[in-house]
Order: sequence, then structure tokens, then C-alpha cells
Amino acid sequence: MFSTIYIEEEVLELPRVKELLARYSHIPQVICERYGEVFNRKSQNFRLQKKSPALILAKKYGNKVLSAPQGYGYNDSKSYYFSHMLNCVYDCRYCFLQGMYSSANYVLFVNFEDFEAALADKIAENDGGGVYYSGYDCDSLALEPVSNFCKKFVPLFVNYPHAELEIRTKSTQVRCLLEQDVVSNCVIAMSFTTSEAASRWEHKVPSVEKRIEALHKLQLAGWRVAIRFEPLILGSDGIAAYEALFDQLFSRLDVDKIHSVSSGLFRMPVDFHKRIVKLYPDEELFARATEIDEGMISLKNDDEAAQLAAIETLLFKSISPQQYYRCA
Amino acid sequence: MKEAMPSSAMPVNIVVAHPLEAKALIPMFGLQPTQNTSGYVQYNCANGLQLIVSGVGRSAVSAAVKFLAKQQANEDNQVRGWVNIGIAGHRNAALGSGWLANRITDRAAGTRAYPPQLIDGIAACSVVTVDEPELVYPEDAVYEMEASAFYGEASRHSTAELVQLFKVVSDNLQNPISDLDLKRVPMWIAQQEEQIVSLVQRLSELVNLHNASHAMPTAYHDLCSQLHLTVSQKLQLKRLCQRYKALGREAELGGFVATAVGSKKLIATLVAQIDEPMNTQ
Repeated sequence: MFSTIYIEEEVLELPRVKELLARYSHIPQVICERYGEVFNRKSQNFRLQKKSPALILAKKYGNKVLSAPQGYGYNDSKSYYFSHMLNCVYDCRYCFLQGMYSSANYVLFVNFEDFEAALADKIAENDGGGVYYSGYDCDSLALEPVSNFCKKFVPLFVNYPHAELEIRTKSTQVRCLLEQDVVSNCVIAMSFTTSEAASRWEHKVPSVEKRIEALHKLQLAGWRVAIRFEPLILGSDGIAAYEALFDQLFSRLDVDKIHSVSSGLFRMPVDFHKRIVKLYPDEELFARATEIDEGMISLKNDDEAAQLAAIETLLFKSISPQQYYRCA
Repeated sequence: MKEAMPSSAMPVNIVVAHPLEAKALIPMFGLQPTQNTSGYVQYNCANGLQLIVSGVGRSAVSAAVKFLAKQQANEDNQVRGWVNIGIAGHRNAALGSGWLANRITDRAAGTRAYPPQLIDGIAACSVVTVDEPELVYPEDAVYEMEASAFYGEASRHSTAELVQLFKVVSDNLQNPISDLDLKRVPMWIAQQEEQIVSLVQRLSELVNLHNASHAMPTAYHDLCSQLHLTVSQKLQLKRLCQRYKALGREAELGGFVATAVGSKKLIATLVAQIDEPMNTQ
């Protein structure tokens, strides 16, 4: 599961940490002073580390609830994100995290109570409202059996009926949600690419079918679910691949009850792309022609607008335009 | 030479401080002495494995790693694995027991490093590098004299995941270093053959995987030798060749080798052809 567990001295005595270490006593455990000694050091190789990642248990200092990047969310409410974890258990070749960190180890911030307090402060600052995203620097659900993150944070939002929590994931680990009461202002947003793209670039990720099944179960249990078509890698899959994906999805889900559907093109900061190219000089995706706009790199595609429009036209055969937004 | 050794490439450097530490490794890996004027005792094997005897202490190991890295320098992003194998003391670990380093503390400098743990199945422990032999072993760690310098220097020439340290216990509280019989060192190291061979083999697999993904098309080398390229042009050409290869168009590069006359024009042509709009099925 993990090659090693590194533990910051400061969190050693936390009950959450003690319980975790007892549960994984068979995994080598190494004490460090601060997680930065292990994570994201120079001369580390994300690609190699991904073969056998370690878990780092750490305390998060500083800002815990940050403003979401512009265009990240689905409405005009103030949007924030918080990351109880850095890095993801999946290995999606298109993921920007590969360029953001030089380490593929998972950092789990275990001072949940500090995050809880920071969320309470931010929600109060926004008169009880705001949208709070989890799953920007990690997958929120994928490590749930280890972290118990959702078990802790989802019920908190019962106390904030005018705020909204979005749990972004590709995981099918929904048992923790199915075992608890539905929280009406919590949205489980599942990311999808076409089956072709998934089998090509999404390593270790549950299949599209299994993800749809997980969403179906959540819907049946009364949870609000959302669909994120991200990233759209146009020019790779024909429109037919999207048609197949939409048929598969919307024939299984109760479309009227879907909270929202969004799409986002493949793009990332230029510096991240440069670092990923160094890691994967042999990857076809990163060998394609690109273009740069305001520090962001995307795939060059002269037909992008037409292709995106065609995908959206297809999409609107199943969902209403009011349910849809384009992620910037 | 042992027949059990696989013939696949082992682009790994083994660094030991003392000739007695090398003694058991030479037959273990079928190493042959190399002729050189460097002053270092070196061994190698046709599969690419190299061994150097650095001398004892931080400065000696640092210099030996630097020397070997310079000797092996290449422009192709091809890296090598580095393993430091040597004896160490531990307060209660059995003599001859072997340990992979998962944390290195330099007592004099007060610094710490954490070699990434990509090789499982080998018992790991903390290593403390000291300037003088340790007699009381205050921590649950192995004590030795080269690890911090070896790791720091080798990590400059490779990526940290490919730099590992394996320590074999030669002294403990019951068997103090003052009673150390150096003749037993080769025997202790030989007893760890299974672990050491496994470590070197698995490190080799990682190095080979990394190097294969970074290998440059032959045409790149041909073009470099054929044309005068500035540093910047060389970098551009390198990435272009990688892109042609990644896109399954490596064969096209061969045509440019035959016709290229100017570096500027070549790069412009390569860019124009690879950035043509893609077919979208």
C-alpha cells in the first residue's frame, strides 16, 4: 500500500496518528521533523516515486482554506478549496500534480480540527455561504479508508446549510457516504474522460463503468452528484467516443437530479508542463503541438471551438444547458 | 564468475570505503579489476556494473563519487544507480545483519536526508554518519562514516530514488569495535548476498526503465555530429527528436540526417512538420 510511513514528530502523539500507525504497523515507519524534509526535495523523481509511494503524516500550517482559481466553480458564489492531502493515489498521465510536485508521496495532513476551524471561519466570513472544494491537490475519496476524511468533514456541513461542499473524485470508495446520512449541501463530483482516454492515460483509476455505478448508488441513496468531463483532450477521441460516454452515463443516472455537469479542456501552467515533459519525454500526449496563453499551456487545436461545440450539442441532448458550465 | 548473475544491464555504481568490503562483492558480481591511473581501485563487469574503493570517511567517499560521475558523464540524461555498501555499528543488531538506510543523519553537520524507499523486502533502519567510530550507539541506528557524504554527492549525479545505502553490522555493544576482526568483513558481506544482489538488480531495473524512457533517437546523435549547433539549438533539437519519437515518427528523422545542411533551417523544418494540425480521426 505504502512503501514507508513518514511521521512528523509533532503529530506522533495525535490519537488519529496513533490509530493509523497501529493499523499499518507492518509498514516501515520513519520519524521526520517536517514533511518538507521528505516531500518535494530537489533531485526527486515523481515518475519513479509513483512506483512505490510513501505516506507522510504531517501538520498543515498557514492558510488551510484558499480561494479557488478563477473559473473553477459552477456559480458566482465565492469559491474556496482546501486540501487535507497532497497528491493522488491514481496515476493520470495528464494530471498537473506531476508538474506541481517533484515527489509522488502522499502527504496527509492530520490536523483535521484545524481545517475544521478554518472552514468555520471562512464560512462565517461569507455570511454562512460559499462553495468549498475538496479534491484539488488530491482525490478526496480515494484514500478514505486510511484518512477517514469524508467521515469527518461531510457531516460538518449540516451545520452550514447555506454553504456547499464539493467532493471531487474518481474513486468508487463511496461506502463511507452510503453509511452516513445524506448531507443535502454536499455534492459528489465524479470526473470522467472517454473510455479510450481513460484506458490510455488513467492508470490505477476505477473503470468508467465502476465510477458510473458508484454515482448511481449515491443517487439512489439520495446524495447529490455532479459530473466533471475533465480534461477534454480533443483531437484524440472522436465525437463518437463522447457520444458513447454520455449514453453510458445518462442512461444509468437520474439526469434531472444531477447537480451540475462541467467540462474543462486540458491545460496547465507552462512550468508544470515543462517539468512533466522532463519526466515523460516519451509520452505522446506531451509531444503534441501546444500553445501558450497567459502562462497556461494547452494543446494546439485549430478545430477546438467546433469540436467543443459538437460535444456540448451532444451533451444537451441529455441534460439541460442550465445544468452545464465550462470550467475555465 | 558466478553463473547465477543475470546478463541484463546493471548501470549501477557500488561504492565501498575499504578493500575488504569489496572482497566479497567481486566474486558476487563477477567483477574484474580495471586498469586506470586515477589512484582509485576500480572494478567493472560487462553488464555495466562498476565498483570503486573510495577510502574511509566523508571527504574520501565524496571525492570518489565525484570522480566516478565525471568519468561516466554523458549528454543523454542517462543516469546510473548508486549503492554504498559498508560495515557499521549498531547497539544490539546481530553481527552480519544487513540494513537499507531509510534516514541518514550527519552528526557533525546536523543534517538529515531520507533516501526514497522504492526497494521493498529489505529491512531498513536509520543511519548516523560520524567522524570517529561510535562506541555507545545512543540511537536505534547504525553508525558509520560515509553515508551522508555519499548520499549528498551521489544525489547530484542521479535522482535520489536511485541512490541507496546498505550497511552490514560489524560491531555492537557486545562486540565492540575495538575487538573488530577485519578478516570477518568479507564473510559478513558475503552472507548478505541475497539482499545485496536483489538490491542491485532492482535498482538496475529502475535505472533501465528511466534510461529507456529518456533514450534519444540515433538520428539525434547523427545530427549533432553532423551540424554545428549552439547550446540552445542542441536543446531544441533534443526535444524535437524526443517528440518525433513519442509521436511514433522517429523514422522521419533519418531523412533529415541525409539532407540537413544548416542547423537553423533543420530546426525550423522539424518544427513546421511536427506542429502541422493533427488528424482528428
